[in-house]
Amino acid sequence: MRIDYKLNDKFDLYIFATVSILVVIGLAAIYSATQNTIQAKGNFEKQLFSWGLALVSFFIVYSLPTTIFRVSAIPLYVFSILLLVVVLFFGKTAGGAKSWINLGVFSFQPSEVTKFATVLVLALYLSRKNIDLENLKHIGFTLILGLIPVALILLEPDLGSSFIFLGIILSLMFWKGISLFGLFIVLSPAFVAVASLFGVVYLILAIVTVIVLLFLFKRDIFLSGSLLGLNIASGFFVDYFFRILSPHQQDRIRSFVDPMADPLGAGYNAIQAKVAIGSGGLFGKGYLSGNQTQLQYIPEQWTDFIYCVIGEEFGFVGSVIVLGLFLFLFIRILRIANYAKDDFLGLVIIGILTIYFLHFTINIGMTIGIFPVIGIPLPFVSYGGTSLLVNMTMLGVVLNIYRSKNYT
Amino acid sequence: MINMDRKHVIYVLLIIVFAVYVIRLFQLQVIEQEYFEEKSSDNSIKVIQQTPLRGVFFDREFNLLVENVPAYTVRITPADYDKKNNEILENVLELDSGFIQNLMQRNRIYSKYLPLRVKRGVEFKVIAWIEENWQDLAGVDYIIEMQRAYPFGVMSSHVFGYSKEISQRQLERDTDDYYVPGDIIGFNGLERSYEKQIRGTKGENLILVDSRRREVGKYKDGKKDTEALKGKDLVLSIDGIIQKIAEEELGDRTGAIVAIEPTTGEILAMVSSPNYDLNMFSYVTPRAFLHELMNDPKKPQFNRATMSAHPPGSTFKIMTAIIGLELGIIDDKSSYFCGGGFTFGRFFRCLGKHGSINVVTAIEKSCNTYFYQLILKIGADNLYKYSKKFGFGRKLKIDISEESAGLIPNEEYYRRIYGDNWPRGILVSLGVGQGEVSTTPLQLAHFTALVANNGQSYVPHLAKGYLNENKNLIPFTFPEEDVEIKQSVFDLVKKGMYLVVNGNGTARHLHIPDIAIAGKTGTAQNPHGEDHAWFIGFAPYENPKIAICVLVENAGFGGTHAAPIAKKMIENYVRRKLNLFPPTVAEKSIEKVSPNAN
Repeated sequence: MRIDYKLNDKFDLYIFATVSILVVIGLAAIYSATQNTIQAKGNFEKQLFSWGLALVSFFIVYSLPTTIFRVSAIPLYVFSILLLVVVLFFGKTAGGAKSWINLGVFSFQPSEVTKFATVLVLALYLSRKNIDLENLKHIGFTLILGLIPVALILLEPDLGSSFIFLGIILSLMFWKGISLFGLFIVLSPAFVAVASLFGVVYLILAIVTVIVLLFLFKRDIFLSGSLLGLNIASGFFVDYFFRILSPHQQDRIRSFVDPMADPLGAGYNAIQAKVAIGSGGLFGKGYLSGNQTQLQYIPEQWTDFIYCVIGEEFGFVGSVIVLGLFLFLFIRILRIANYAKDDFLGLVIIGILTIYFLHFTINIGMTIGIFPVIGIPLPFVSYGGTSLLVNMTMLGVVLNIYRSKNYT
Repeated sequence: MINMDRKHVIYVLLIIVFAVYVIRLFQLQVIEQEYFEEKSSDNSIKVIQQTPLRGVFFDREFNLLVENVPAYTVRITPADYDKKNNEILENVLELDSGFIQNLMQRNRIYSKYLPLRVKRGVEFKVIAWIEENWQDLAGVDYIIEMQRAYPFGVMSSHVFGYSKEISQRQLERDTDDYYVPGDIIGFNGLERSYEKQIRGTKGENLILVDSRRREVGKYKDGKKDTEALKGKDLVLSIDGIIQKIAEEELGDRTGAIVAIEPTTGEILAMVSSPNYDLNMFSYVTPRAFLHELMNDPKKPQFNRATMSAHPPGSTFKIMTAIIGLELGIIDDKSSYFCGGGFTFGRFFRCLGKHGSINVVTAIEKSCNTYFYQLILKIGADNLYKYSKKFGFGRKLKIDISEESAGLIPNEEYYRRIYGDNWPRGILVSLGVGQGEVSTTPLQLAHFTALVANNGQSYVPHLAKGYLNENKNLIPFTFPEEDVEIKQSVFDLVKKGMYLVVNGNGTARHLHIPDIAIAGKTGTAQNPHGEDHAWFIGFAPYENPKIAICVLVENAGFGGTHAAPIAKKMIENYVRRKLNLFPPTVAEKSIEKVSPNAN
């Protein structure tokens, strides 16, 4: 056997290279966005340092025995739930949400860790032999496992991260083989809730849609009736739920529904982000030459709005290249899910892919005006130590599972 | 669905999201790129108007009369400014207490990074104080802005006028959209009438600003910037030296002087007294000053030279004589008898008993009786018709807009007031310039110029032209005038005017051996107080270089009070023009600006 064959067998260089390119693009964009700002001076260096740390973590996790993920699932889940409780009492507030734990030297967001822990514990539960997702009890238990962290994170309140959790629950159940009706049970309340944000007309349309679908599924009256009740309740509870949100998140949701309602307030970021990207044109304004970026029209651009830097300074071409890198990465990871030697590892891969994919979709979606601005970073690219560390660690898990695929 | 390969669903989902995002990016970055590009530029490019320098004013000898001098303007930038300094700053800048608080309050809708002008025209010692204490005065700075100055020592407020910040009403009337709030515009006098020539061309500096409107640099390194072009420099017809003499001679007396070059209609001097301080109108005018000016009973802002209409008194006899001669009612031999007055309904007094006199002597001696009888033969309508030709009873349309028409009555005017049977006795006093006739000093000076130049001249004007890039004078053109009166008529009245000074007339004290002055005194009866003193005259008699009209209000007899001022001006001007003497000492102190110097 030749060395390169062996290497390719144990290590997906394509994935690693793609991610490395994304991190480098991210570093370049962070440098561009922060070089003129006083409050973010040194963020480039910090991110570079985080990358180093993340690489160490990546290789450690990569070389661990694969069984450790199964063993550590429950302790990690319990630990991270505890962290989420701790953060509610001792957390540091940033951007209107109490989501940081300060450890003196550095601070981190427990919700980032909890995402991975929840993936592990859900994968563990769903990979049990007797799990049947036609069984409401099993669906219910899966939901409870997934919604405990959601509830805690909503208390921070961090709306964006909660969405990611919902996505994780959904995609793992989907991968496990939930039926269309099961999916409907889980999805429809959320669908009605989101529709109600846009006004009464949309709420009624959504409920009518739910009723039509219930007819088509032809389940018994009791089940259908209680589902409809749940849907209508979720539609009306949105209002209550909306009120417990922090004012800045309420503003962001309102500004998504109508960004021009308050162009200098909550809608400001969404508008300036579009201006930055749109004005980039086909080839961009050139590195370090985007006036929206260099003149700081978008607050804290190096975090959630980093994609604007790429859009403005590298144009359509640069933006699509970044999209392509992500697409390539996702497809490669999806392939590994297929090769995984058991259900558990497959579910873990799908869970990680979901985390990456949802972050990617929501982040870029909000910068180009498709999603509301809910504060989700772009994986590997946005500035943020915890995020990069967790993402690289999860990549270590992915490649660890890749490494283990041929051995059973 | 249940049996479908779930991996493929995820593939499809990935591709859909990718495709939607690519399409969205294409829409934003390719289709709508222009729109966002514009938005982005609007965001970050601030256009800073470069205010051009206003053109300066030279006199006819290219002495600098009105120039621009740098003046200090103190500003505060609210973002960096500490309100604790309000009191001390207000003290140093001599502002009312609360002024800065007020200013910041009014401008709080603008960015905190935009500097606010606190005071313009600040003295250097204050600037020095700011320099010394800059560490304690965060957010306080100063810039240099241009302000008008009057280096020749003539104020001529009514001629030059002042410029100040444009008002809301003027902005609305600005159809060319040239002005923006805060621009300086000429408000009156020449500053107003030649605004378009002297205002120059604005420039633009494109400055990059960040999201908080802080200036961070030049747009495209200033390649797109345009420079402001200075306005055209005006060359006035004013002669600075006699203008100064006129101002000094009038002093604090109320009155007006207008001097005109007869052959060209160029106004050599125009003074209205009392003056006011133009410097006070630069930029922000102190309220107390405005209040004082408005409530001054002498109305300093009123341009008496062009707007005060008084009966011309005996100076108007020249007009009466010209009409009589032109109409053939009298000739050089015809005479009237003066026995000390004339009875027509009532008794009209003459100041002497002149016996049988002809027109020349009647002018020389200023005989009322002669003109009482003559005007009755001329009639109101002829008086009106010929007076209009000579510029009375109408605006002359000179090149400043402050002007009044005065009044010359005609028969219709009398019919309107007194009915068809209006008493003809009213007409009698018109012949000697009393009663319902009023003229401005400008009109009388213009009349004198026409007489001096035998009925031909140009519409009077204050500006000769402007200087082009090569400092050559490009003249403005003004309409020609010809009253079409026989030469013999002028010969006779001018002879009479000559004798007023050089014969046995009312202004013998004006006699100068080597300069032949011709003139006529007048005293306008003033029902409200002392009579107004008039003098009109021109010199030299043979080849007139200057025609002049002097009015001193509430002074009494014209020969005593108005004529000596005219004499001084005429003597100075004619001597210089004809080189009758070497240049006077006064000129040494005056910096000459040659039109061809660089």
